[in-house]
Amino acid sequence: MDFTLTEEQEMLRQAARSLFTRECPSSLVRAHMDDPAAADPLWKHLREWTALAAGDTVDLCLFLEEAGAAVAPGPFFATTALFGPVLAAAGHTALESVQAGELTGTVAMAGADGAWTANGDPVKTFVPELDRVDQVAFVGEGPTVAVVPAQGLAWRPVATLDSTRRLFEVEGPADRSAAVPVAAQALADAVGRATVAVAAELVGAGRWLLDATVAYAKERTQFGRPIGSFQGLQFEITDMALAWERAAAAVAYAAMALDAADPDRRTAVHVAKAQAGEAARRCARVGMQVHGGIGYTWEHDLHLRLRRAYAGDGLLGPVTWHLDRLAELLFDSDRET
Amino acid sequence: MRLEWGAEEEAFRAELIEFLAAHAPPEARRRRDFIGSDDGSLPGWARAWQATLFDHGWMVPGYPPELGGRNATPVQTLVYLEELARQGIPRSLHFGGYAIVGPSLLEFGSEAQRAMAPAAIRGDTVWCVGMSEPDAGSDLASLSTRAELDGDSFVVNGQKVWTSYAMVAEKCFCYVRTNPDVPKHKGISVVIIDLDSPGVEVRPLRHVTGAAEFAEVFFTDVVVPRGNLVGQLDDGWRITMGSLAHERGGIWLEGVSGCQRTVDDLVALAHRRRLDRDLAVRRRLAAAYAEAQGLRALGYKGFAGFAQGSSAPEHSYMKLATSELRQDLYELGLDLQGPFGVVTDPERAEEGGRWPHAFLVSLAATIGGGTSEIQRNVIATRVLGLPRG
Repeated sequence: MDFTLTEEQEMLRQAARSLFTRECPSSLVRAHMDDPAAADPLWKHLREWTALAAGDTVDLCLFLEEAGAAVAPGPFFATTALFGPVLAAAGHTALESVQAGELTGTVAMAGADGAWTANGDPVKTFVPELDRVDQVAFVGEGPTVAVVPAQGLAWRPVATLDSTRRLFEVEGPADRSAAVPVAAQALADAVGRATVAVAAELVGAGRWLLDATVAYAKERTQFGRPIGSFQGLQFEITDMALAWERAAAAVAYAAMALDAADPDRRTAVHVAKAQAGEAARRCARVGMQVHGGIGYTWEHDLHLRLRRAYAGDGLLGPVTWHLDRLAELLFDSDRET
Repeated sequence: MRLEWGAEEEAFRAELIEFLAAHAPPEARRRRDFIGSDDGSLPGWARAWQATLFDHGWMVPGYPPELGGRNATPVQTLVYLEELARQGIPRSLHFGGYAIVGPSLLEFGSEAQRAMAPAAIRGDTVWCVGMSEPDAGSDLASLSTRAELDGDSFVVNGQKVWTSYAMVAEKCFCYVRTNPDVPKHKGISVVIIDLDSPGVEVRPLRHVTGAAEFAEVFFTDVVVPRGNLVGQLDDGWRITMGSLAHERGGIWLEGVSGCQRTVDDLVALAHRRRLDRDLAVRRRLAAAYAEAQGLRALGYKGFAGFAQGSSAPEHSYMKLATSELRQDLYELGLDLQGPFGVVTDPERAEEGGRWPHAFLVSLAATIGGGTSEIQRNVIATRVLGLPRG
């Protein structure tokens, strides 16, 4: 297993990092919480990168890790990590327009129980950015995919802890004729890709929290010493760093496994999302604790990542959901070793 | 980034697999939780196996043939460690000789001392490493075993403890204080002590499992020729543990594979104990599986940096994480058996009493070779750059 980044991958990461640093300051993220149109200037840049919707998962994840670190708002995530892959699985021609940056979209799949498995529920839940994209891919029982315009659908926004990512409930389209069958394995891979993409964002948010926490522990002085010299704090930060390192590696592995269509990829996806969810939450909690009172203020940017960490853990399945799927693979089938 | 190694590495693996199939003795394939000897002895099969590996260039593949290797590349060495860990085959029951003493002699020794390295690596000469003392554990640099220069000899007085294989070793690679008047790190030297010298007393020390795997070693006016000094006088702190530099990128594999095998065995145990539908058990084992998988990926990620010659901060986490995870796993093995978890009677216990025994052995992993607390201190200050406390 070779984790060495190619020159192109290294360049992609650098490009993403400078793009988000430049175009996605926290002032934009905060403005977007009150008015979603505030993210439009960012989208003007990100639409240049929508080809990632159909390329290697590894590339998409490198890019989204930086998006997660910046808690980037707007339609990019829904379009490239959800909509594009589902179009690809269904063999839908609109994928070309997505890659060209001309079409935005989202996916409505989770039903009443919030799980991203194909179902016939009339109301879909946890649909990102629905009111600001062009089209919605409804995934139904069968499985089937129906791609319909977002306009005219019956939806309502559902506020969550994460005010940087907007989620909606939506009723399925009245006209069912658009639904076409999709291969179950292809759909599973698209959902796997989306799951690892969320995990990559979580790794990015976790990295920001880890870096900020280490930096703060070095500069904040109490009792005449930097607080980062206290062993009680050092151990908390060390364990947080370990959780983050392990998750980042697990996410990269899962992305490689998906790209190689490795037989182990289902397992790798559950491992990646479970580890990333746990790590991001831990980075948020320990980060908050180390920052103390200053981290608890609205003014400090820490809570933006804390929100993304908890909501991102939930999106496409929280830790426990993935552990339960993993347990099914471990206990209930003749697992290949 | 890619999932598979290239054709050349896989050909290397195939050659190794063929060699192992032809030569590895059945004792080497015995299912074991930890590599080592229960009673501090080195059984004949283990010594013969180590020599066979050496003679075929499979003992330390990164070394040249005269040192038991085949000039393997870093990736080939990783493939080698991967395959041994996968099959659960140890190279040697005695880590100190080939992994600490041999490489240290080669790097720091005089010509005569370098000539002792092949026998150390082949296992012909059994060495012990004299580091810890009753008052110098985690704070190793405070060691007080004294070596005073008297003409052409040192006179050594003091005590080592937790010294593995001292009962069967011929020589001790011994850290001693040669200068008490300078800061503690600057007055340490390494000397080679023949354990049959007058004034050396080795007392077996039983550990918590009841076995005497290590010993206390007492030195009373032991005369050591000056030529047995390794490296420069007072410069012994540089001669640090685990000097197999070219294997450092892959030594984590053993721990990770151990965790993964233990998870598999716990799944089987849960089935036998009819706990496979228990939600708490399922989640706990799934989480352990995920942790071990994540650690494996982290080890490989670190290797990517190591192979390019940069430092691999990722590897600083591996010993800490795998040793704590294994302890948790063996304790879970006890829990899965309810009140029977503590039964050691081989006729009544699961797998002949494996679980309570392995649990006890696993307690050593977070203490020996740098305690978990020392590991965390090191990560905090050297990897994360936090200020020293």
